[in-house]
Amino acid sequence: MAYTRKNVWELGGDWADPILWYARGVKAIKARALSEPTGWRFYAAIHGIDQDLWRQLGYLSSGDAMPSSGDIETYWNQCQHGSWYFLPWHRGYLIAFEAVVRDAVVKLGGPSDWALPYWNYFKPNQDALPPAFASANWPDGEGDNPLYVPQRYGPNNDGNVYVPVNMINLNTLGDPDFSGVASGGSPGFGGVNTGFSHSGQVHGGIETQPHDWIHGLVGGGDPQSNLPGLMSDPDTAGLDPIFWLHHANIDRLWEVWRKNPTSHVDPTDANWVNGPLVVGGGTFVLPMPGGVSWTYTPGQMSDLSQLNYTYDDVSPPSATPAVVARLERLGVPLETANALARSTAMAGPKTVELLGANNESLRLIGAEAGTSVTLDAAVQRKVSTNLETAGAAGRPAPDRIFLNLENVRGLNDATAFSIYINLPEGEDPARHPELLAGSIALFGVRKATLADGEHAGDGLTFVFEITHIIDAMHLAGALNVSQLRVRLVPIKPVPEAAQISIGRISIFRQSS
Amino acid sequence: MSRTAHGPDIWLVVLGSIILLAWWLLARNSGDLMMSAFCSSNTLWALPLSVRFDLALMLVSPAQIASGSALMIAAMMLPLIIAPLRHVRDRSFARQRTRATILFAAGYGVVWMIAAVVLQLIAFVARWAAPAPLLCFGLALVTAILWQVSPTKQWCLNRCHRRPHLAAFGAAADRDAFDFGLTNGASCAGSCWALMLLTLLIGQGQISGMIAVTLFVFAERLESPARLKWRWRAPSRALRIAVAQARMRLTTARAAEHVVTPVDDSVFGRTLCRIMI
Repeated sequence: MAYTRKNVWELGGDWADPILWYARGVKAIKARALSEPTGWRFYAAIHGIDQDLWRQLGYLSSGDAMPSSGDIETYWNQCQHGSWYFLPWHRGYLIAFEAVVRDAVVKLGGPSDWALPYWNYFKPNQDALPPAFASANWPDGEGDNPLYVPQRYGPNNDGNVYVPVNMINLNTLGDPDFSGVASGGSPGFGGVNTGFSHSGQVHGGIETQPHDWIHGLVGGGDPQSNLPGLMSDPDTAGLDPIFWLHHANIDRLWEVWRKNPTSHVDPTDANWVNGPLVVGGGTFVLPMPGGVSWTYTPGQMSDLSQLNYTYDDVSPPSATPAVVARLERLGVPLETANALARSTAMAGPKTVELLGANNESLRLIGAEAGTSVTLDAAVQRKVSTNLETAGAAGRPAPDRIFLNLENVRGLNDATAFSIYINLPEGEDPARHPELLAGSIALFGVRKATLADGEHAGDGLTFVFEITHIIDAMHLAGALNVSQLRVRLVPIKPVPEAAQISIGRISIFRQSS
Repeated sequence: MSRTAHGPDIWLVVLGSIILLAWWLLARNSGDLMMSAFCSSNTLWALPLSVRFDLALMLVSPAQIASGSALMIAAMMLPLIIAPLRHVRDRSFARQRTRATILFAAGYGVVWMIAAVVLQLIAFVARWAAPAPLLCFGLALVTAILWQVSPTKQWCLNRCHRRPHLAAFGAAADRDAFDFGLTNGASCAGSCWALMLLTLLIGQGQISGMIAVTLFVFAERLESPARLKWRWRAPSRALRIAVAQARMRLTTARAAEHVVTPVDDSVFGRTLCRIMI
């Protein structure tokens, strides 16, 4: 039987059967002890666990019997972030979780074809938290709805949970490459080639946006205690039932990317196909119903038809591939643009080089921060020349330009902000979406800031494609500038206690 | 996707050549280049320290000590700077990469040269204080083991993984590259000094000992940063990589018996490079 994951907003009602059975299944799983591998908290700890944080949030107490050290070693803290394993690991995690919930649902007398719904916040009028998650009550009025968690604060930290749609985008679906680089260029749609990394430094395209952003905005933080919302921190995110619907959507977007166009392919590198085990890392292994464990590799996660489930909608957000649309904007005839797009998809190694950088590290406190990125004249000329000859016979695909926020450190994962390029002084950022480089939530920044943590205190590095802004400047004849102004606009004022800093803001060009 | 569109990274070829050359010179001249070689000459240990020191300087000049130290650092420590150098080069303007590379290496080398000379002197004094070579080596071995399991060692090791932001323009860029070399060199010397001292006191078979230590510290650097505590740190990841890659290649070879597919001989090397990044 092939299971179909459906849009949670289109199930036929706030408490349609699939969501009602999800709630019943979650309730049954939540009743299990921490030490049970198919229990709710055990599954959340597979993603990540910080025991101090769990205690502070009330999810761990002295009365809890811990699992065996073998189970902890085998299963916990597996999540893959900042890595090209991000998508395949989470796909397996969803499959296993879905199997655990389905098992519980069936035991409760529910449908044997139950499948996890997804939350597609991109669709019109579907940006709000699905109602079944927003109420503490069951539809019949009882007050222990397991889909509700109080530690979900939303973008304004006021408990109103929604996704500001003007700050999310699907630009990464236009990236022709699954894997990218950590050297300033595109981190790829799926992430950077790493070894076994619980949390790498550079997040991939789909991971940065919309994945991280949704985590930070939905989770938010408690303005009183300064504790994060569950979704805001990788070590607590799996405790929130909405986590799974959010990741089902990310998983769906992987399939959208693969199908549109079909030149988008997953890596064939043996180190990706076989997983981190072959680069000295661990195995992807998850507990399944019936006391068995399931081991899987990224290569086994590529093809949905082999995984016995599908999505009800994998249509692309735009009929025209992003690469073709860009070339047309640059004045390249459609036929040539299509040919160039095909060659881009098949292109091999790329050259990445620094184009400019700011001079000093930046603290983000209060309502906004700004800096100027000085451009190197020689590299800038290369970009201009490249754009001027875009589409000419024998020329490669035009350069792509990337803004890097390097060594982002801080203590608050729920910090979220947008980055604008050359936003005029005094202008309302919301009125200039064309100058928006991107929006991020600092999902994972707290752990990445720990001097003796896995990142050695270097923090995270975020990469945004700003090709559209550079193209527009080029077309307006305004690219011959020595500096670009960069403004960071938090969704809400950043307290000094969050200690958010950005080591360097730089711009790179990537050429074929 | 790799960083460059054309051919292998030249700087890696240059670095690899320097490392191989250093090993070749060490293997050929080890008896002439280092004070430790003098130290291992058992017949001289009955003499007073001042006489021995004078004799040492007569037989092995300061220039020879310096060149011996430089060779030792080039052979043993340069493999460890591939990852930080990659960071320096990636974050510098293309035309300034060579300059930044040299500045980083200079900072790193300065720290290690000082450390190496100090370690040579410590080795000399240790041999004077404990003239029985075995006792001397035993003490160094105990010291090395204690250091290896200490949280301070982990503190140094964690800081070897730091990749700071670097200025891009002008004198600030030069200063940052050099400073990064200094701090990375200091962390590296802090992490590796005890094992380096051990190689200076090993006496016969010094080259073999140096090779073993080089492989160990390289493997150690593949491990992720970790919390500070007393514990034995077996650099098992390198072993796991070797086993897994060998198994994968074996599987590929078996599959090739049925389907003729070219085997990528560079896969292991590329894997090591990537995980060092």
